[in-house]
Amino acid sequence: MNEHESVRAMLPLGAAGLLDPDEVRRVEEHARTCELCRSDLETWSVYAQGLRKLPQPSAPAGLMERTRARIIQEHAVAAGRRRHAWLLGALAAFGWTSSLAFWVVARALTGGVFTVMGVNWVNGLAWSLGSTVVAWTTAAAAAMMLGRGREMRRFL
Amino acid sequence: MILAATMSLEGFTGDREIARLRKGDPDAITDLIGRYQHRLYRFLVRMVGDPATAEDLFQQTWIRLMEKIGSYDARRNFEAWLFAIARNLAIDHLRRRRGISLDEPDDSGRAPVERLEAAGQDVLTQLLDFERGALLAAAIGELPAIHREVLTLRFEEDMKLEQIAEVAGVPLSTVKSRLHRALESLRTRIEALGKGLYERT
Repeated sequence: MNEHESVRAMLPLGAAGLLDPDEVRRVEEHARTCELCRSDLETWSVYAQGLRKLPQPSAPAGLMERTRARIIQEHAVAAGRRRHAWLLGALAAFGWTSSLAFWVVARALTGGVFTVMGVNWVNGLAWSLGSTVVAWTTAAAAAMMLGRGREMRRFL
Repeated sequence: MILAATMSLEGFTGDREIARLRKGDPDAITDLIGRYQHRLYRFLVRMVGDPATAEDLFQQTWIRLMEKIGSYDARRNFEAWLFAIARNLAIDHLRRRRGISLDEPDDSGRAPVERLEAAGQDVLTQLLDFERGALLAAAIGELPAIHREVLTLRFEEDMKLEQIAEVAGVPLSTVKSRLHRALESLRTRIEALGKGLYERT
């Protein structure tokens, strides 16, 4: 690439004010003797000027208030989500704790044997299986209820 | 006006407002929105081209900012960080939407040239009256998003190369080459559009 071509390639960035001082000097020196580059430089300056004076879309009235209201709304939704997560965690912890406590009480009251339909329900394995099924069913029901609540809020 | 707005922002780091936000002061976000609303909204309009979408993205930007405020690194330039959030939301939106080119009709079913004519403006005068810039803005709207982005950040927001790189998340050399291609592409489009308009009138 000769000097003319490399200077021409610099002209758009020159219009954007992004050439370093050495490059600016190079462009100026070349443009002094090259009619084509001088004219091109002027054209690019017109473009740069036009780009700096584009019609400005101004922010619509009430934008700040609407944004603030939406932030508050989103904040409330996020807080609700955190509350639900905390509630579900607390319920799960309560479920497992009460199951364990109840197992100890049930064993003490029945002397370690409480048979229904041939299964000893105060046996460790049967109790943990039964508790797991009850806990998961309860969690699924709670999740469905919360999901429906969210759908309702979105609809409203 | 742009220069004046930029100059008034010189020295503004957002540190005080960020500290207030972290403490949960609700007025801090109002101050920040007030300070940036015109520039950020304008940037989003240039990016997505539609005022209603720009407003939605504007609001999402501030919501996202509130979510991320805890992880904001104070060594970063606040302005670049804010514009980067807006930029990413706009790019995500554009990825979901099919882009249009200069020759493709938009949702109204009319090509850009016809839209200008339909607006009841003298297109030849508009072409010659570069200062009004309506034609230039229309041509920018037809450029790819990564070109619109660098043009508006450089010429309207008067951002430095480093800031643009931070907003776009690309190296300095990429910003330079994108800006170069954007300007070349814009000039080609304007010249092509000008010729077409001249023949029409």
